[in-house]
Amino acid sequence: MDFESYDVLVVGGGLAGIRAAIAVVEANPRLKVAMVSKVYPMRSHTVSAEGGAAAVLRPEDSYETHAFDTIKGSDYLADQDVVEAFVREAPIEVIQMEHWGCPWSREPDGKISARPFGGMTTWRTCFAADKTGFHMLHTVFQTSLKFDQIHRHDEAFATKLLVEDGRCVGVVAIDMRSGKFDAITAKAVILATGGLGRVYAFTTNGNICTGDGMALAYRAGVGLKDMEMVQFHPTGLPFTGILITEAVRGEGGYLTNKDGERFLKRYVPNKMELGPRDIISRAMTTEFEEGRGFEGAHGKYMHLDVRHLGEAVIDSKLPFMRELGREFVGIDIVHDPIPVRPVQHYMMGGVDADISGVTPLAGLYAAGECANVGLNGGNRLGSNSLSECLVFGAAAGRQAADYVSSARAPGSNPVGAMLKDETARIEAAYLDKKGGDERIGAIREEMQLAMDVGAGVFRTREGLEKLTKQLGTLRDRFEKIKIEDSSRTFNTELMAAMELDFMLEVADVITYSALAREESRGAHSRRDYPERDDAKYLKHTVAFRTDDISPRLEYRDVRITNFKPQARTY
Amino acid sequence: MADKRITIRATRFDPEKDKSPRLQSYDIPFSDDSMVVLDALNYIKSHVDGSLSYRWSCRMGICGSCGMTVNGTPKLTCSAFLRDYWPRSVTVTPLNNFPIVRDLVVDMEDFMHKLKSIKPWIIRKQEIPLGAGEHRQTMDQIGEFRQFSQCINCMLCYAACPVYGLDNEFLGPAAIALARRYNLDSRDQGTKERLPMIAHPDGIWECSFVGECSVVCPKGVDPAKAIQQTKLDTTMRFVLPYGNRE
Amino acid sequence: MSAEAETATRTYRPPMGAGWWTRKGHYFWYMVREFTALPLALWLLWLLYEIQRAGRGPSGYYPPNSTAFVIFSAICLPFALYHSFTFLKLAGVILRVKLLDKPLASGVIVATMFGTWLVASVVVGAVLIGFGR
Ligand SMILES: Cc1cc2nc3c(=O)[nH]c(=O)nc-3n(C[C@H](O)[C@H](O)[C@H](O)COP(=O)(O)OP(=O)(O)OC[C@H]3O[C@@H](n4cnc5c(N)ncnc54)[C@H](O)[C@@H]3O)c2cc1C
Ligand code: SF4
Ligand code: FES
Repeated sequence: MDFESYDVLVVGGGLAGIRAAIAVVEANPRLKVAMVSKVYPMRSHTVSAEGGAAAVLRPEDSYETHAFDTIKGSDYLADQDVVEAFVREAPIEVIQMEHWGCPWSREPDGKISARPFGGMTTWRTCFAADKTGFHMLHTVFQTSLKFDQIHRHDEAFATKLLVEDGRCVGVVAIDMRSGKFDAITAKAVILATGGLGRVYAFTTNGNICTGDGMALAYRAGVGLKDMEMVQFHPTGLPFTGILITEAVRGEGGYLTNKDGERFLKRYVPNKMELGPRDIISRAMTTEFEEGRGFEGAHGKYMHLDVRHLGEAVIDSKLPFMRELGREFVGIDIVHDPIPVRPVQHYMMGGVDADISGVTPLAGLYAAGECANVGLNGGNRLGSNSLSECLVFGAAAGRQAADYVSSARAPGSNPVGAMLKDETARIEAAYLDKKGGDERIGAIREEMQLAMDVGAGVFRTREGLEKLTKQLGTLRDRFEKIKIEDSSRTFNTELMAAMELDFMLEVADVITYSALAREESRGAHSRRDYPERDDAKYLKHTVAFRTDDISPRLEYRDVRITNFKPQARTY
Repeated sequence: MADKRITIRATRFDPEKDKSPRLQSYDIPFSDDSMVVLDALNYIKSHVDGSLSYRWSCRMGICGSCGMTVNGTPKLTCSAFLRDYWPRSVTVTPLNNFPIVRDLVVDMEDFMHKLKSIKPWIIRKQEIPLGAGEHRQTMDQIGEFRQFSQCINCMLCYAACPVYGLDNEFLGPAAIALARRYNLDSRDQGTKERLPMIAHPDGIWECSFVGECSVVCPKGVDPAKAIQQTKLDTTMRFVLPYGNRE
Repeated sequence: MSAEAETATRTYRPPMGAGWWTRKGHYFWYMVREFTALPLALWLLWLLYEIQRAGRGPSGYYPPNSTAFVIFSAICLPFALYHSFTFLKLAGVILRVKLLDKPLASGVIVATMFGTWLVASVVVGAVLIGFGR
């Protein structure tokens, strides 16, 4: 059997994936790259990022402060060498984006402008109005069209990593349009599949953020690092979970409780609205619990007030927020405060990868939100993620390009057998399955609600233990699902079932990792262990899949270079 | 409120079984005033009929995947509120003018090729090195093309364009708006390279200015404006003595 | 789906009925706008013919004496007005005029267009009436 064969295969068409693909062909124009994405690349969830991308560009700023802000923000769980390299690369990447046409907002002198952001001590968040992710994604995607070496497989769903002799040599993917199973082979594979927000009910993440890449790597034996570190953003719109960007606070918006009080003065008195996300989300949750939140049809909420900024500032810096307010809440943010509450937003954890995206599985690289290269630790600072996608997407691309120059092409025999096995597995588990009676939608909803309660802003041993049992029951029920859609053509129910399978897998890892970390650090806040415990837990959690229900957890020291852990107060 | 209900009619088409599409009716609870048409489809898929197929992701009007025809008008279903239709029923069909792949999913490969054909990237005679920093660009210069850079590729404009419906060769509203976005960017020097596609008989000159594309565009791109302006510019290039210079 | 993952999946292409322009008010008015060009063209042809007749010599021919032409002109006038109206409205969309480095609002451009149209009509009318005396 012959298979489509490439030098490098990128799974994911978001910011990290496209940046990686371009980096490969820039490193070596003779390489053939495949880009597999389950949605057209410009639909990737990067598109929804609003606030901006952090980079030290102003002369008043320095790499040291960006590094320190990031490390302190991470609650000292970031690997400091990685952070130090990142802050130096970020400005270069932001300029590269500018050369590719990204319409960055500008200063009067024509230079790229920056805005303040939570946890950053100075203005370093570059932005394109409040549609930064949209502009960056469309810019890299449209730029990628000029490289004929990049072959896109749009609307192809990767179901499995092909591993031969301890080497990753491609993926099995379903072409959604035809329903055909394909083995797409390559000498190296870069995972850039984004986040897993859909594991939760209330999330800013889109329908496609289901942790696929993390589950794919995990099933191929690669560890998942720091999966207990789930970020909750303070300001999501009730009901939809649509994000109100941190830039709203960056530009001077106030958070107030039902008494009209800027309650953050009790939690982050020096930073107020510009405090880091984990702390503000906890502050809001505490206020709710103490009865100082507003009560609405969709739960408790606070007010985010920008009325004092005036229409001109709002229209030039936050036009999309005004649009979202009008469309989805029916308010005009120029005249009304915005209702907000904490919402799942970002996954700090991910596929265990190093500073160049290298994973422990030869030939496999990871970048973007699905990876954990050690940058974000316990809490990512807003606007570091888009820059991370660029910096580490490019790094992984270059590293993979280098690797394939000496790697041999995968053999087609074992690949053929693997494709047959995977096709048979999916047909048996889903397409040809008879007699199931569980609805995917029902299991998914129960998982999401259970995760919101059990692995939310605050956690306890009891809550997490209960959650592991709930997830176990849901997994049993998943074995009895019913697929009503018998067509092979654009079978979105099949995709939803496989995504749920992936989500149940990563939800488990989140829960067990959280249960084992008996301290409070960054976004992981244990009611039963409210203090940070550097003696025991200044370490990364790395989870490996076992045949048992629970993963095997290993711990790895955090790399400290110049910044000794201190108490984290703002 | 608790037992308000709404009828949703959705196109069903499975090429493996059906000759042509048909409508299927679902009666579902309209439990929350904030519900959009997409929520209704999701309710159907989760609780009534798992086989209904459609695209969506961000549910915040920015990814561009959820465009469908709602009661005759092309809409982003994540931003089309049920309360604006109730108590009438809502009929959801695939976007017009595109081949139907399955249920509410259309084939948009044609646009993907057209997008590439207009060279939607910065073209320069001489690249400046990264070390030299950014190109200087003022907010006013961004203002020149800002509107045309807001396109989310949702295809509503193509669905609204009878010219495209009658002749699929037409380059179409969004592609031309994006070409103009790059042509007007102070960093770009590629207008001339894009000209053959734009001034092609299937390019701007095919447009007879129905203007419906700009009416349905959810992002205020105003592709009709982009096309008419390009017609004027292209004519000027041709008529004026030095019109064809960069 | 990429070019190389070509498949034989069948798609359904809904036919576009001849009555598409009745589906929407907007489409209908577009058809009306396009249609108004027809009487306009006919009127111009007739005018050419009348001019040519007038050119045959000083036999005292005066176009308004042709009743048929006057009636036809009266019918064409609303079409001409509607056509000019839609055309001038477009100007706001098409023209990009800058004043002191600030782009002019399209409303201003359209208003100027209509103003110019009015003034031009008055001037032309005055000249014609002046000659007619
Ligand atoms: C609402 C919102 C606002 C944000 N704002 C900011 C901000 O202001 N600043 C900032 O720095 N960060 C922000 N973030 C975070 C940041 O946007 C994301 O972390 C980042 O965009 C992730 O990019 P990515 O390339 O890793 O993944 P994505 O853009 O999510 O792309 C994932 C890709 O993988 C593909 N894929 C996934 N699974 C499969 C599969 N099984 N088979 C094939 N393909 C697959 C998808 O099709 C997609 O193309 C925000 C996030 C959200 C949700
Ligand atoms: S121009 Fe408007 S309607 Fe057309 S694809 Fe772009 S955003 Fe959609
Ligand atoms: S779901 Fe993304 S635009 Fe509607």
